[in-house]
Amino acid sequence: MKLTHLAGSVLLLAAMTSGAAAQEDPIKIGIPVGLSGANSVVAPSVVQSSELAAEEINANGGILGRKVKLVVADDGSGAQGAQSAFNSLVFQDDVDVLISMETSAARNAGLPIVNRAGKPYIYTSFYEGHSCSPWMYVDAWVPEQQVTPIVDHFMKEEGAKSFYLIGSDYAFGRGMLEFTRQYIEKSGGKVLGEEYLPMDGSDWTAIISDLKSKNPDALITSTAGGAPNVTLTKQLRNAGVTIPYGNLAVDEGTAKSMGSDASGIFISQSYLTGISSKENKKFLAAMEKKFGSGLKTPNDLSVPQYEAIYLYKAAVEKAGSTDPQAVVDALPEVSFKGPRGVIKMDKQHHTPLTMYLGQVKDDGSVKVINTFKDVDPGDQCPNL
Amino acid sequence: MATLLLDIVTTSSMLFIIAAGLMIILGVMKLINFAHGAFLTVGGYSAHVVTNAGFNAWLTIPAAAVVGFLLGIVVERVILRPLYDRPLDAILATWGLGIVIAQIITFIFGRGVQFAESPISGTTDLLSVGYSSWRLVLVVVALALGAALTALLYYTRFGLNARAVIMNENLARGLGIDSVRVRAVTFGLGAALACAAGALITPLLSIDPNMGLPWLVNSFMLVLVSGVAIPGLALASLLLGGAQVLVSTFVSPIIGGITIVVLAAVILRIRPGGLSRG
Repeated sequence: MKLTHLAGSVLLLAAMTSGAAAQEDPIKIGIPVGLSGANSVVAPSVVQSSELAAEEINANGGILGRKVKLVVADDGSGAQGAQSAFNSLVFQDDVDVLISMETSAARNAGLPIVNRAGKPYIYTSFYEGHSCSPWMYVDAWVPEQQVTPIVDHFMKEEGAKSFYLIGSDYAFGRGMLEFTRQYIEKSGGKVLGEEYLPMDGSDWTAIISDLKSKNPDALITSTAGGAPNVTLTKQLRNAGVTIPYGNLAVDEGTAKSMGSDASGIFISQSYLTGISSKENKKFLAAMEKKFGSGLKTPNDLSVPQYEAIYLYKAAVEKAGSTDPQAVVDALPEVSFKGPRGVIKMDKQHHTPLTMYLGQVKDDGSVKVINTFKDVDPGDQCPNL
Repeated sequence: MATLLLDIVTTSSMLFIIAAGLMIILGVMKLINFAHGAFLTVGGYSAHVVTNAGFNAWLTIPAAAVVGFLLGIVVERVILRPLYDRPLDAILATWGLGIVIAQIITFIFGRGVQFAESPISGTTDLLSVGYSSWRLVLVVVALALGAALTALLYYTRFGLNARAVIMNENLARGLGIDSVRVRAVTFGLGAALACAAGALITPLLSIDPNMGLPWLVNSFMLVLVSGVAIPGLALASLLLGGAQVLVSTFVSPIIGGITIVVLAAVILRIRPGGLSRG
């Protein structure tokens, strides 16, 4: 009798401790990101904003009482690296969700793995659009949202009727300019030229001479970020090109370091550090406090990442569990008020966003010229 | 039309400036310097450091040349001199050196894009078109460089020694020419030219750890086509650079990017010795 009693209490104790252990099992968020390769310059800022989100959530009691744990994996900014990163995150680390800013090549390689495993996946990088999966949500912009403010501004405010388009020869560059051309022609403008250089190309001589001979009213470029963007802008300025210049690939940080060459460039983003909302100021202050001098300037890639982690939190809380299907069903229903405003991924797995048209000033700072409220992403995935 | 002409002349000048360092080293040392691209990159970063420290942007070019010369002397002494009897290994060593230099630069400056101030910016009116001033400067630099290298080779003691080493190294050594010293100075000179070229192209390019790489293949082709001689290199630059501009303008800039390589292969098929030799 006494013995069974003891055995019973031991069993009870064991059950209690294991129950407590299950309670404390953290929710794992997988972050495949390009720590090496083309995205390696921007990836650290994305990791930083993820860390802040996790820290804030854990300090406020976690998600459904469970802590959040980030599992970061390098996808090498490309397809091959993404396959191994997704495989190890999904099948070895058994993460509950994937939230990441990646190149389109990496996303396309990772998506089949996500579909097979049936995990929620929030893609937080702007991209060329029309990538659809029942498991994937996107909280960043697509061409429909970024290009229209620039073209509208050039046509209405600068009186531009003819355009010239220059890009890097890859999926994103061509996809953006393809949409730009269609939109310009639909709006009654004319495209005088559309030229591309390979991604590692640096000699824009012939294209710039062609641009000058055709004498368009405005110029829109969509190069790969970093080096090609800088070489093109420098050579344009060197050749004395002064027409209104919309750059789809430059971010605030690059504009700042480019100095006078970047002056006058128009950019269109869903996030600028100069947004004056309470949420943005709080976010910037928290980033500053956490990372100090090691802080990478928050940008249009790292802020959507931060917000996506909160959106996942809201979805899990609404679903009441981390069950993948329940979370995916809850994701379009929830919203989060972050640095970019209220974010809700309710438009065919994409997100209506407020877009800011900015112009780079002489000192490299970006002045907001115009705000376009809740720009619709259009029909991205009509079959979902 | 005037723009097209200027495009051809300035592109050729740029190619000539960039390939000169590679050719000097190949000519005297019979060594293809695969670290040439990395030396260009070092030149770009030298420019970045110089203007960041607040010095005049014109100083970037001599500063880069000095950095290049010192780098070249050290590399020659430490890496290449022990490998003179193993030419293939020496070429491999320069290739590895290029990778090491790029990684060291990444380690110090990071992968991101850096910037240097330009000595001049804007356009100059020439032949009734406004044309990039810096590209016009490059034409002047290319002409001066060609003249200076010719003078060095044909009117100085070093040039005489170098030519003797080129023709017959054993005989030259037998006549008391210090061929080891000639090699060391040549490599230093080649590296100095490469670094200065890197500084000269930064006003038109971004400074990043791989900035020199795309130029390596084109320079290599130009030097082979030139038949390793200064007038040959000038002709090759004009011919292939011109072809690149024409194809980019009238066909497609993407195909323009491979024009030099394809055309060089064709020329070498017809004239294996390049333009200078029969």
